[in-house]
Amino acid sequence: MVEAFAVASGKGGTGKTTSTLALGMALAEEYDVTVVDADTGMANLLFHTGLGDADTTLHDVLLEGGAPIEAATYERFGMSVVPCGTSLAAFEAADPERLRTVVAELASTTDVLLLDSPATLGSKSAVLPIVLADRVVVVLQPTIPALSDGLKVQEYALSYGSEIAGTLFNRVRGDVGDVTAKADRYFEGPLLGTIPESEAAGAARAAGEPLLAHAPDSPAAAAYREAAGVLDPRTGDADAVADRFRSAVIPEPP
Amino acid sequence: MIPEGELLRSRVVSELSDSLEGALDRRLDGYAVLAPRDAILFDADGVGVITFEAGVPSMAYHTETDRGGPAALADIGAGPYRLELHELDADALDLPGRTDALDVPPGMPADRLAGDAALAERTRRIAADDADADDGEPDAIVEFLDDEAAIERIRSDARQQAAARADEWGFEDAI
Ligand SMILES: Nc1ncnc2c1ncn2[C@@H]1O[C@H](COP(=O)(O)OP(=O)(O)OP(=O)(O)O)[C@@H](O)[C@H]1O
Ligand SMILES: [Mg+2]
Repeated sequence: MVEAFAVASGKGGTGKTTSTLALGMALAEEYDVTVVDADTGMANLLFHTGLGDADTTLHDVLLEGGAPIEAATYERFGMSVVPCGTSLAAFEAADPERLRTVVAELASTTDVLLLDSPATLGSKSAVLPIVLADRVVVVLQPTIPALSDGLKVQEYALSYGSEIAGTLFNRVRGDVGDVTAKADRYFEGPLLGTIPESEAAGAARAAGEPLLAHAPDSPAAAAYREAAGVLDPRTGDADAVADRFRSAVIPEPP
Repeated sequence: MIPEGELLRSRVVSELSDSLEGALDRRLDGYAVLAPRDAILFDADGVGVITFEAGVPSMAYHTETDRGGPAALADIGAGPYRLELHELDADALDLPGRTDALDVPPGMPADRLAGDAALAERTRRIAADDADADDGEPDAIVEFLDDEAAIERIRSDARQQAAARADEWGFEDAI
């Protein structure tokens, strides 16, 4: 295991799922990558990966006495993909605490773990991915609600001992150099990238493929590959990391 | 009336507090479609539509009565409902034929449909903050980012919230 990242934003629809899969595919060139749909209340990663009819999903794993994580792991697009289902009943039956064990188990078998996180800080299960991650990728858009909610996500992450991997401005039209420069003063970590507004993103979603598989030559895909290069996952001892997730939320506050 | 958005969830709900609060928390751009639970066809008796901008209710319309605004909320009436929540680009909600007749005050759906005065108040507060900030224009964003005191307020509020919830959620060992 190298590192666990949460891909998060306070606001919905900023492009967390798109970004999780794009960063995952880019990192998969070098690392063994697992992406997990940790947005268990409003899962949609399955639709971005052609797994809409997957039999076993994270929901089944999060049940008491549920399925083993292997049963909900699918090899797609050069990554291991753990989708989540969309049924309300399954969400309500799932025990969010068990995500901790899932992350610990995956940590021992993969290099880079990416957790696609919910668009709210309103519940324990929504915040857990941020708590479990080593570092958080904050997905922003150049709008005030997205920026102000991104700041909240950052403060939650820092409060719970997770670091900020950097910020990603998505769906950018035109020049936003002013905005990214000013935002940089408030956000920890580097600006990982600015991803242009791209019709390829919607087309990829409609085709059930990640952007980097559907339109690898698009400017947005290139920007994601560059961002992944800045992420620079840290190497660590697999067993130590797995232990850490198992035993506590975050073991040693700095 | 509205271009089709991305379906986020579809479910039967007995009351709307959680759904309205969920939309507010995720600052949803999009709309909710509400039908009586027993409707066999989704729009046999008409459906109610409520749009959201950054999580705040902005318009309401009822397809059967063809009424908008507060009247549409009355037509939607009490639950249980079948609810579909759709996400849609904020731009797409700027409808060409949009008239004031469709507008609803931000807190009214929470008040009238959910009977949740606290949520209505929270919604009104967020709506007022958003109006102050007049989003979307690059100048407005830069102005927002230049207001260091306001940004620090957002950050310290979030820190306080995170600390308060650490107890509630059992994250004490994280801080
Ligand atoms: N760079 C982009 N250009 C254009 N459209 C984009 C871009 N990135 C994402 N989108 C589109 O925006 C919508 C939301 O993206 P996505 O599902 O990745 O966001 P999300 O943050 O995961 O949403 P949610 O909060 O609902 O989980 C999708 O329709 C997606 O295709
Ligand atoms: Mg998503």
